[in-house]
Amino acid sequence: MGTLLSVEGLVTQFITSSGVVRAVDGVTWDVEEGETVALVGESGCGKSVSALSIMRLVAEPAGRIVAGRILFKGRDLLQLSEEGMRRVRGREIGMVFQEPMTSLNPVLTIGRQLTEGLEIHLGMSPTDARARAVELLGLVGIPDAARRLRQYPHQFSGGMRQRMVIAMALACEPSLVLADEPTTALDVTIQAQILELMKSLSRRLGVAMLIITHNLGVVARYADRVNVMYAGRIIERASARELYAHPRHPYTLGLLRSVPRLDEPIRARLDPIEGQPPDLTRLPRGCAFVPRCAFRTDRCIVERPDLRPLNGAEHVAACWEVERVAVGGCPKVAMA
Amino acid sequence: MWRYLFKRFLLMFPTLLGVAVVVFLLIRIIPGDVVELRMAGDRGAVSEEILQQERTRFGLDRPVWEQFLTWMAGVVRLDFGTSMWTGAPIWEEIRLRFALSLQVAVMATTVAVLLAIPLGVIAALKQDTWVDYAVRIFSIAGLATPSFWLGIVFILVLLVVFKWLPPMVYTPFWVDPWQNLQQLIWPALAVGYRYSAVATRMTRSAMLEVLREDYIRTARAKGLWQKLILWRHAIKNAMLPVMAVVAVEFAFLIGGLVVTEQVFNLNGLGLLFVQAVAHRDYTLIQALVMLVSGVFIVVNFALDIMYAWLDPRIRYR
Ligand SMILES: Nc1ncnc2c1ncn2[C@@H]1O[C@H](COP(=O)(O)OP(=O)(O)O)[C@@H](O)[C@H]1O
Ligand SMILES: [Mg+2]
Repeated sequence: MGTLLSVEGLVTQFITSSGVVRAVDGVTWDVEEGETVALVGESGCGKSVSALSIMRLVAEPAGRIVAGRILFKGRDLLQLSEEGMRRVRGREIGMVFQEPMTSLNPVLTIGRQLTEGLEIHLGMSPTDARARAVELLGLVGIPDAARRLRQYPHQFSGGMRQRMVIAMALACEPSLVLADEPTTALDVTIQAQILELMKSLSRRLGVAMLIITHNLGVVARYADRVNVMYAGRIIERASARELYAHPRHPYTLGLLRSVPRLDEPIRARLDPIEGQPPDLTRLPRGCAFVPRCAFRTDRCIVERPDLRPLNGAEHVAACWEVERVAVGGCPKVAMA
Repeated sequence: MWRYLFKRFLLMFPTLLGVAVVVFLLIRIIPGDVVELRMAGDRGAVSEEILQQERTRFGLDRPVWEQFLTWMAGVVRLDFGTSMWTGAPIWEEIRLRFALSLQVAVMATTVAVLLAIPLGVIAALKQDTWVDYAVRIFSIAGLATPSFWLGIVFILVLLVVFKWLPPMVYTPFWVDPWQNLQQLIWPALAVGYRYSAVATRMTRSAMLEVLREDYIRTARAKGLWQKLILWRHAIKNAMLPVMAVVAVEFAFLIGGLVVTEQVFNLNGLGLLFVQAVAHRDYTLIQALVMLVSGVFIVVNFALDIMYAWLDPRIRYR
């Protein structure tokens, strides 16, 4: 299978009154066709901005994509015209947002919001689009679709709305879906249902997925590969299995220790990583994780580590002390 | 929705009753009454006895609650009695003036809405460009310009530049529409400018707020055309607060145009109101307050209906 999306050296910044926020600071990662890739990190590390950059929906004029390439099926999305980009959005890349409560228009029916993409991208007649909408609601497990289509978002529960948003993202059979914390706003039981649904749909329809989350526990079951992000950069990447078994970056280690688990009703004690993520307007010269890192050395303060391959090219980490982490790391969380 | 609207409808009646009680009591607190003021012309030559006689004639000597009940008995039959000052039936006093004030209010609202919605929407879409600044200057100037002053400017310009004066004697629309419009368009424009300024600012800020909403981002992520996002997803949501402002302004215009009416020599409700208070013409004041608050309440009810129509969250309550 080929590479579907490849983000190369992406830099996205916001100009604010307190300075330039380097939300995404030169990241490189890719998604293979049909694959599920996770982007994991604490809140504020640039996950959403990464996804919005791919869609070219970063809030203007404050936000700007400053450098990099976003190759999707071989084309650089950053070079497309606005109209060309519009044809990609919803048609070839679908997006699921975090807040199902606010991401649907309160004054339009579910049917209207589901069919409009079909009418515009696929040129369907209203009747055909309606039939397809019924089909889509069935696909995401919303019963009684014909009646549901006439309802408004406020008549749906949070979980149902997120199903509807997923149906909307899948409507035009895109080859990639970007899911930005699709379950964060939902109850724990519903979270698992939604994730199962997304996983099975991606398998059945062969859609590649980018799952953005701050919860590494989610990733274990649902992602093939994981990118760990910190302060606008990718600091570790591996297959989900490898990452769980052998985390090599102190930050990943910390994340694993602080994981709330979906499949563990009685939670083990959580150890959140101490300290705060750095101010993205004033990133240090060395490694951004230094102030919170138990493994830090003098070198870490002055010199920033780049991603380097470890046991084979599939596992990379940006840390000078990978060897010590490998030995000293004893993640309490085992692979699910 | 019907239950909701029915509830809002029923709520109109206690509100009106509340207004009736308050106005009835308040005007009786103002010192002096219509009898004293009418007789004042005779420079105290009138004896206390005659004053008392007059008061008895108007029923002012009876206990307040009895006066109130007598008045209410008339009101529920839509009979507001006769003016204490002129002796003419209240309805005769008010009829033409109400028609005039209502027409000016409707015309001014039309002017305001036709200006405000396109201007507000464009300003929001082109935020912080010269278009936005131009619209903001237009609307700040509108807020700062008194309507009566603008009215004077209109009259002067028409007179000096065009050597033409709008007709000064009121002709009802049903008598001669053309004559009527020639006369009322100017006060409607003068008042409508300030009004549109208020509505433009509201439209602009409501639009800006809506354009930042998550569902607009969702619509963009679906790859909809910019125009469709605007018309289908944004405008309807942004219109809710704008309608509220328009409704309040409209209701205000019915009774609140005192000076502008004077500038254009219009006998509207505003002027009548001032005179009625000056004369302590209790029956007329009461009738005017009831009328104006009635308009206010009906407009608010209409607003409720429109909200329910635009917003399913209200409709399906
Ligand atoms: N519109 C914006 N204006 C200014 N700064 C922003 C904006 N959107 C995001 N940022 C900043 O970019 C950084 C990354 O944000 P985001 O990608 O939303 O984080 P997360 O990983 O939680 O999704 C944050 O520090 C945030 O403050
Ligand atoms: Mg986010």
